[in-house]
Amino acid sequence: MERASEFRSGFRPVEADLLNEGAGMRNGRFYVGLVGVALVVTYLVWTGISDTMVYYLTPTELMAKVEQDPSFHGVGVKVSGKVVSGSYRKGGEDFEHRFDVHDIEHPDVVFPVVYQNVLPDTFTDDTEVVLEGRFGEDGVFQAKTLLTKCGSRYEASPSDLAGSGNAA
Amino acid sequence: MTALGEFALWIALPISFWGMAMGFVGGHQKRGDLVLSAERSVYIVFALLTVASLGIVNAFLTDQFQYWYVAGYSNRDLDIFFKLSGLWAGQRGSLVFWAVLLAFFAALTVFQNRKRNRDFMPYVVGVLQGILGFFLVVLLFAGVNPFEQLGFVPADGQGLNPQLQNYWMTIHPPVLYLGFTAFSIPFAFAMAALLNGRLDSRWIVVTRRWTLVSWFFLTNGIIFGMRWAYEELGWGGYWFWDPVENASLLPWLTATAFLHSIMIQENRGMLKVWNMSLVLLTFLLTIFATFLTRSGLIESVHSFAQNTGIAFIFLAFMGSIFVAAVILILYRLPALRSENQIESFVSREAAFLLNNLVLLGAAFAILWGTIFPLVSEAFTGQPIAVGPPFFNRVNIPIGLVLLALTGIGPVIAWRRATGRNLKRNFALPVGIGVAVSGAIFLLGARNGYALATFGISAFVLTTIAVEFWKGTRARARIEGEGFFAAFAHLVGRNRRRWGGYIVHAGVVLVFAAFAGRAFEVEVRKALNPGETVSVASPFGHTYTLTYEGMSSSLEANFDRWVALLSVQRNGASVGSMVTERRFYRVNRQMVTEVGIRSTPVEDLYVILADVEDFEGIVANDPAAQRIVVQVMVNPLVGWIWYGGVIITIGSLIALWPTAEVARRRGVVAGKADAGSLAGAAPA
Repeated sequence: MERASEFRSGFRPVEADLLNEGAGMRNGRFYVGLVGVALVVTYLVWTGISDTMVYYLTPTELMAKVEQDPSFHGVGVKVSGKVVSGSYRKGGEDFEHRFDVHDIEHPDVVFPVVYQNVLPDTFTDDTEVVLEGRFGEDGVFQAKTLLTKCGSRYEASPSDLAGSGNAA
Repeated sequence: MTALGEFALWIALPISFWGMAMGFVGGHQKRGDLVLSAERSVYIVFALLTVASLGIVNAFLTDQFQYWYVAGYSNRDLDIFFKLSGLWAGQRGSLVFWAVLLAFFAALTVFQNRKRNRDFMPYVVGVLQGILGFFLVVLLFAGVNPFEQLGFVPADGQGLNPQLQNYWMTIHPPVLYLGFTAFSIPFAFAMAALLNGRLDSRWIVVTRRWTLVSWFFLTNGIIFGMRWAYEELGWGGYWFWDPVENASLLPWLTATAFLHSIMIQENRGMLKVWNMSLVLLTFLLTIFATFLTRSGLIESVHSFAQNTGIAFIFLAFMGSIFVAAVILILYRLPALRSENQIESFVSREAAFLLNNLVLLGAAFAILWGTIFPLVSEAFTGQPIAVGPPFFNRVNIPIGLVLLALTGIGPVIAWRRATGRNLKRNFALPVGIGVAVSGAIFLLGARNGYALATFGISAFVLTTIAVEFWKGTRARARIEGEGFFAAFAHLVGRNRRRWGGYIVHAGVVLVFAAFAGRAFEVEVRKALNPGETVSVASPFGHTYTLTYEGMSSSLEANFDRWVALLSVQRNGASVGSMVTERRFYRVNRQMVTEVGIRSTPVEDLYVILADVEDFEGIVANDPAAQRIVVQVMVNPLVGWIWYGGVIITIGSLIALWPTAEVARRRGVVAGKADAGSLAGAAPA
């Protein structure tokens, strides 16, 4: 039943197949294909997650984890917190940045961070940051990646302007 | 003018709900007067939303900082270009903008169908007005009113985030929104088909142009976003798999699947339930993307409680639409039975189906990775994050299968391909694909995925070229035309098909560009004036950059520090480039503006990573000029933008009405209500 000419093989409607013999069996085979694709995707997602996942912690949770199990120092984690105002300084080498990060809800939980890469433009001395890296045994967090929080990045808070205005 | 805008929103609200009610009731009771009223309400709502939008634009242009929204996204010295785009700079204005675009498309649909598809239109209007009504409720009652006033008048606004002050960022959101909103039209027709019971391919034929328009805008919107990220975020890449990016990609994936699966329904009468499900899923994902964008919902796992009211309203809306649509589909299930069966795995239907499954698989994987922190927190109390490594790992193999199907689908026979068909159509392309992979391997590339991508790209491009060649030759022979005339007529006679092939060629370029990232080169160095940094391109030559010095200037909205570098390629001078830092005074934010020097095969990309002494440079102190640069060579990155242009050309060819259709339209218009399958006309 091959189309005679490629020239016309585009979008021509094909007459309904009235005979349809063995359709049930073929449909069965089709469902096997469908399940096959679903299984492959599930497998990719499953192994992908288990091989690349990292715990996403608050500083307080991170402290509790390493206290419980010191081997956690070697595990890659993601931590979100806030840069301690005024703590930023350039490191000894180019591309080395040092600052402290504290827990947003428990400001007394603080740890120092070293980050050796280009800082994003949105990084300032009191932004919320998401760090990925390891919390070393020396108590310094070695950050491999640093992101500033997206949500606040583009949203405005003009109420802060209060008092800057003219009496209207 | 601006006060009038808020007033317009309040009037539009009841009118859109009136339109919705009249559409559904009028359709059900076949009352022409009610339907007419519903259709007119669409024009009115469009006019009112236009007034509201102009009100916001006016507030931006005239610096009316007493409005929360204007104060938050503008300042007096902001470039007028960015003031004009203030309408979609933030969430509040974006919602108005979304609504006015949808209202425009709805009005256009009503106008186009004033004499056609009359059995669909009442429900189409009902659905569209329902969506508009929902957005108006959100705008007026969910704490995101763009006309909210601060209660005082600040001396100046807070300014627009400097990273949004970029050309691509001003056109990226509107183009993406055009894509999101245009998809509401196919969705509305699909729901109308479920309501009026006309479940043949009519609704697909009526809306396939809309689907393509939506896909076209979505694609360009995403590419513009990549361009923005590449130029403005300054880390050398264009895609980071962050939730907002993923949210825009999800409806693109399902819309792409839909675009292909409707062809199977048109040609073989199959996949009717599948297509209904895809149109529903894609529509829900456009809504999901709309509210996720800039709401930061997923990122803020640790502060979930704040500002989520609007998220729940949206989720409730999506949930209701989902339940209503599923009930309708189940109710109509007997009428949605397939007219045919898949006959063979080796057939075009099977290739298209696989394409659909793979696209949905990718969408599922991306959605799962995006919401995984929320899901894992809900089930284990401990959020677990996955990042770019996860998305790349899962999506690269999926993407390669998809790319290969781009070549296989269009040339494999319908129903059942024979060995002869396969051999004749695939021997040459497979040979060329293998040869290209082999050649690039011999040239020294060792990245397996990249080699596979280049090989498959060559395979796909060859299948497309062969199709064009065979078609043109056959036509030249049969019609006795010259080669170029035959080519033009070939494309003109079936623009949808040949336009689609051109789109495929553009997609191939984009994929090849992705593979190019495997060969990125990066060097960092601190430089004093006169010092040089060298970087070797994977194409074999070497760039040497000499730091000539730094200058500073005072611009209207920012302070500026510019580093000048002269560039040599293999020792020969090829010009100079600049890379800079800006300090936006109102926002008190430093921004890096990368320097980019593009060639057709690679970009030289220079980031001003650090400036040692900003004041020293302003003071012209020759001892204070030390900077740190990061220099990258990004191979093939330009192919994304070229691919985007080719996709645009292909889409426009596919969208352009053929002369034949224009002639036939008169006939179709007369016959439409007779229930004829007018869709047999290639449109």
